[in-house]
Amino acid sequence: MLRLIVNRILFMIPAGLLLLTFLFALFHIIPGDPAHLLAGDNATLEVIQSIEKEYGFDQPVHVQYMKYMAKVLQGDFGVSNYTRDPVTDSVIPRIYNTFLLAVLSMLFAMIMSLVLGCTSAMYWNRPLDRIVTVFSLIGICTPVFVTGILGIYFFSIYLDWLPIGGMATWQHFVLPVITLGTYQAAILTRMVRSCMVDALGKDFITTARAKGVSEFVVVFKHALRNALLPIVTLFGLGLGHTLGGSVVTESIFNWPGLGRLMVQSILTRDLPITQGALFFFAMIFIIVNLVVDIIYAWVDPRIKYD
Amino acid sequence: MEFLRRYCRDRMGVFFGLILLFLYVVALTAQWITPSDPFKINLRAGFEPPSAEHWFGTDQFGRDMLSRVILATQVTAKVTGLAILFALISGVPIGMFVGYRGGWIESVVMRMTDMLLIFPTIMLAIVVVAVAGASENGVILALGLSQFPQFIRIARGVTLSVKEELYVEASIAAGSGWFHILVHHIWPNIATPIIVQATLTLPVFVLNASALSYLGLGVQPPTPEWGQMLNEAKDFLLPSPYLIVGPAIALFLFVLSANMVGDTFQETLNPKLKKRK
Repeated sequence: MLRLIVNRILFMIPAGLLLLTFLFALFHIIPGDPAHLLAGDNATLEVIQSIEKEYGFDQPVHVQYMKYMAKVLQGDFGVSNYTRDPVTDSVIPRIYNTFLLAVLSMLFAMIMSLVLGCTSAMYWNRPLDRIVTVFSLIGICTPVFVTGILGIYFFSIYLDWLPIGGMATWQHFVLPVITLGTYQAAILTRMVRSCMVDALGKDFITTARAKGVSEFVVVFKHALRNALLPIVTLFGLGLGHTLGGSVVTESIFNWPGLGRLMVQSILTRDLPITQGALFFFAMIFIIVNLVVDIIYAWVDPRIKYD
Repeated sequence: MEFLRRYCRDRMGVFFGLILLFLYVVALTAQWITPSDPFKINLRAGFEPPSAEHWFGTDQFGRDMLSRVILATQVTAKVTGLAILFALISGVPIGMFVGYRGGWIESVVMRMTDMLLIFPTIMLAIVVVAVAGASENGVILALGLSQFPQFIRIARGVTLSVKEELYVEASIAAGSGWFHILVHHIWPNIATPIIVQATLTLPVFVLNASALSYLGLGVQPPTPEWGQMLNEAKDFLLPSPYLIVGPAIALFLFVLSANMVGDTFQETLNPKLKKRK
């Protein structure tokens, strides 16, 4: 177990370096002229040349790469093109905000999907199951931004109960968390249901029922415990998707998170911020993946990673 | 034909198949069926609530929302269709090749796809758009690149199992080269799982294409797109909430019918799946 954890953490070092190289390549080699990209479509030659000089784009690529890596490894991601603040100052506080949103949404989705999925499987092929299935299908087919806009319309404008956006009090959390969580819950409910239907079809369930165990205990103790392995896998994947979905949710509710920062920096061509935000976002994904892997190994000791 | 007959046994599949067909007919004929010009600006007729003349009302520039929703259907159908084609054309040959050849190329390619699969579609798409620029072609490239690892994996998986078959061995013994084997023996086996994957990818692409344009990173105005129309409508939620109705319904209907058709397709091609349900 310890070896697995150490191995995986060591694996993150080359992954991080590769990621930085990839980000460097992305913005320096592929699109042709990064200075042009920064300056915009209608920039004059002088502007482009001054940008080239400032960022060192006029130097050979390998020199630029070494300089970039040396700076980044010292924690210097450059300064924003607009505010001139260090990139790390605007990126790092937002990691927490994004993570908070994603984790709360995932908790909401986990609880909802476990309750709905188990009830649905209990009443398999009966009206209640049908209703849950139809609702989860509707949830899967409704994009986050439609749910979010409808939520804003009903709860913030029509009823005036909740704030439209931002992140100050607990009320600000309600709409974003439910919007992002509902979408995940819809996907997960479907899968929890099919895992539970599988588990409820096993022989030991028949045995338990024959013993006279109450239906509640059959479902939530005998079946759920045995269906838990695939469900844990699903939840692991779900956290990654929730983090991805947070990009859109943050933009709907003006959430001061990493995703919104990234989108805005792309729209305003703030290249250093884009690079920094992408790096930290990708590292979060890699770390979440690592943690999920370790949890699998802990939940299911049969799993051996080499 | 046999496939169609089996598909038609699923009544839900047929119903949503017809809706999807209808949406594609609308997409193909969009230029001719729009009730008024979707680009014509008439500021005096702005923010008109739904009426017999304008079913979904008019937007801030007085453009007919119904016409814009109809034209956006074409934009979405085009963008997602081309993105699937792109993912397919770039992913399947790579998957078949590395699956058949094996060796270090296979490990390198598969490691790379594993790494890409850690990241959700929307994140990869945003990275590509950041580089390629926010435009229709940017979205096609972004969606295509974000899903092509999936196609590599499927093509490789099937190739791995098929290349052990006796008829492949016989073909090698008869002296055929790798290209001949890939085209004549492996490709026919890959077609079915690839078609299933392509239909399952369609709703994902529709959702992500509209999410990108909601964020302002996708199809650019004045070309209408559902996500972008919803983003604009959000600013006028208080005075004219009806602006969200048209694009939201169209988007929901497209994703729903594409999902249902994909599921039915999959069940028709692998009847085993149905029994489990």
